[in-house]
Amino acid sequence: MQAYIEVKKLSFYRGHRSIFKDLSMTIPRGKVTAIMGPSGIGKTTLLKLIGSQLKPESGQVLIDGVDFTRLKRKELFKARAKMGMLFQSGALFSDLSVFENIAFPLRAHTKLPEDMIRDIVLMKLQAVGLRGARDLMPSELSGGMTRRVALARTIALDPELIMYDEPFAGQDPIAMGVLVQLIRLLNDALGLTSVLVSHDIAEALSIADHAIIIADGRVIGEGSPAELKSHTSPLVKQFVNGLPDGPVPFHYPAGEYEMDLVGMDESAS
Amino acid sequence: MYQRSVELAVGVFMLLGMGALVFLALQVSGLSMDSQKDSYKVYAQFDDLGGLSVRGRVSLAGVTIGKISAISLDRESYSALVEMDIYKEVDNLTTDSVASIQTAGLLGDKYVAISVGADEEFLADGDTIFDTQSALNLEKLIGAFASGQVDI
Amino acid sequence: MDYSAAMGRSGVFLLRALLGLSFSLKGMQLLVTQLYKIGVLSLIIIIVSGLFIGMVLGLQGYNILVDYGSEQAVGQMVALTLVRELGPVVTALLFAGRAGSALTAEIGLMKATEQLTSMEMMGVDPMKRVIAPRFWAGFISMPLLAIIFSAVGIFGGMLVSVDWLGVFEGAFWSNMQNAVEFEGDILNGLIKAVVFGAVCTWIAVFQGYDLIPTSEGISIATTKTVVYSSLSVLGLDFLLTAVMFGSI
Ligand SMILES: Nc1ncnc2c1ncn2[C@@H]1O[C@H](COP(=O)(O)OP(=O)(O)OP(=O)(O)O)[C@@H](O)[C@H]1O
Ligand SMILES: [Mg+2]
Repeated sequence: MQAYIEVKKLSFYRGHRSIFKDLSMTIPRGKVTAIMGPSGIGKTTLLKLIGSQLKPESGQVLIDGVDFTRLKRKELFKARAKMGMLFQSGALFSDLSVFENIAFPLRAHTKLPEDMIRDIVLMKLQAVGLRGARDLMPSELSGGMTRRVALARTIALDPELIMYDEPFAGQDPIAMGVLVQLIRLLNDALGLTSVLVSHDIAEALSIADHAIIIADGRVIGEGSPAELKSHTSPLVKQFVNGLPDGPVPFHYPAGEYEMDLVGMDESAS
Repeated sequence: MYQRSVELAVGVFMLLGMGALVFLALQVSGLSMDSQKDSYKVYAQFDDLGGLSVRGRVSLAGVTIGKISAISLDRESYSALVEMDIYKEVDNLTTDSVASIQTAGLLGDKYVAISVGADEEFLADGDTIFDTQSALNLEKLIGAFASGQVDI
Repeated sequence: MDYSAAMGRSGVFLLRALLGLSFSLKGMQLLVTQLYKIGVLSLIIIIVSGLFIGMVLGLQGYNILVDYGSEQAVGQMVALTLVRELGPVVTALLFAGRAGSALTAEIGLMKATEQLTSMEMMGVDPMKRVIAPRFWAGFISMPLLAIIFSAVGIFGGMLVSVDWLGVFEGAFWSNMQNAVEFEGDILNGLIKAVVFGAVCTWIAVFQGYDLIPTSEGISIATTKTVVYSSLSVLGLDFLLTAVMFGSI
């Protein structure tokens, strides 16, 4: 298994709260890797750290052998042209139409003639099933459609690495099936590396070649879907089986519930 | 979003701004393109300028025919020497012209008004107008009136 | 402590916004689009306000001056008031309310909906793509708007005093031309407008870029833009007036 992304001893804080402490992981080249973990654990943050959108306190992020945390602003912007990230919120440009949103990265990074841009945009829209929506504005799209347009925009430049943040949220079963196939297809046909963040364990495990479970700022389980399903660690078991109680807390760190209710929690005062 | 009409509107906006500046320069501040218009110098001596200043107007029959270019004190006669730039095309001011200092309105700016005489000869560059009337001094007038030296 | 940090950030920010303008065809198109949104769309409010303020000045000036028999001087009074003070100041205040707040809200919303982040992740620098065109458009628009405001105002003053109250037109203009100096009054007024434009746009764009990306954050930042801009304009106006016209 050849590494495409290597995260080495990464530490990151939000204010004084530690999100990651000495996190290390390897994401294999040419595979679909699912990153799973409880909500609020820092999955989106991890993707932003990989894209060098956030700077870690310490540690390295090597992508294809290049340490992204060390790149200068200009080099970084250039290097990012070969990675795509699908944001949890979609993050479409609200002043541009669907068509222009997808054309945006093409116009920014290539000097393609207008008719070629048009062809590529329509191809990408066709792939997500929204060719007919090209003239709509983002405010006229539903949440699921927004996500799919954002996906089309993410793949517009045929990047080497695509990071999907919750691509399945808000999709009906049909669209979900199409997206699962699409992610798989893109990965295999173009030979790119995919990183997928999802809560939908069943769906994520069904398309992933490799899965990483993080909790508490570190990796608690790693391996192929089959390996994870038969994992012995109670943490992993709880997560893979979706049990509400167990070693992984469902709650954001807080004081004792009863104490809080009677207003005696010291952290609340 | 990007369209011809946007470009056009922005173009019109720019032109409007430039036009407004030209309007302010020419019509409001009276900066004239021909401020370096050919002119010749004429001098006049006054006993009292009463607030006349450089860049002030020189007019004939209410029409501006030049501007005041310099003011100095004549050391011998203790009077004010005013240097005026008169436009070249007004080359027929008679040598017996009268220069008087007047006020635009009661509180307006002071300017030099020239009224021509009947002479056959005309003022040339460097000539001096001898027949002058100084500014009407409001305070002196009021003072004189108050002390009963003026009859009405 | 917080304030000096924000000052430092905004300084760096200003520098990057200034240098971020691209002179490529694409860059110019972005600039033109923003000139449209910031400049052209502000024209109506500027022209209407300018006209009314000029008319009021004409009316008040006439009523005061007519007692001294100097109603011809109404032109110079209207022109000097507008060119030196009201043109730049009122335009800047209107500009902060109309264009500045819109800039803050727009950029803030782009930040809150992760549009700026996603742009960065696409390898496009939002400083160049979003901030610089908006900054420059504001910087260019404001002086133009101020000049248009003054010109329209003078026209409004003339409308009232000459066409309505019967001041002699020739005297109206010639008094004005004698009193108003190009360098002393018009250029200084223009310098004021340039300074106000830079400050107002800087505040608006920075507040949008630096806000906390929530709906409350956006509303606070929008208010801050209008308040800070207005106070800066009035304070700077005093300073500039003292330097330009005063004898302090
Ligand atoms: N801008 C921010 N400022 C401060 N704290 C933040 C910020 N963004 C996220 N956090 C904190 O960082 C932690 C990780 O957030 P992140 O968005 O990475 O979670 P996540 O794992 O993606 O959650 P979800 O699955 O719900 O999307 C959260 O606990 C959140 O409180
Ligand atoms: Mg997330």
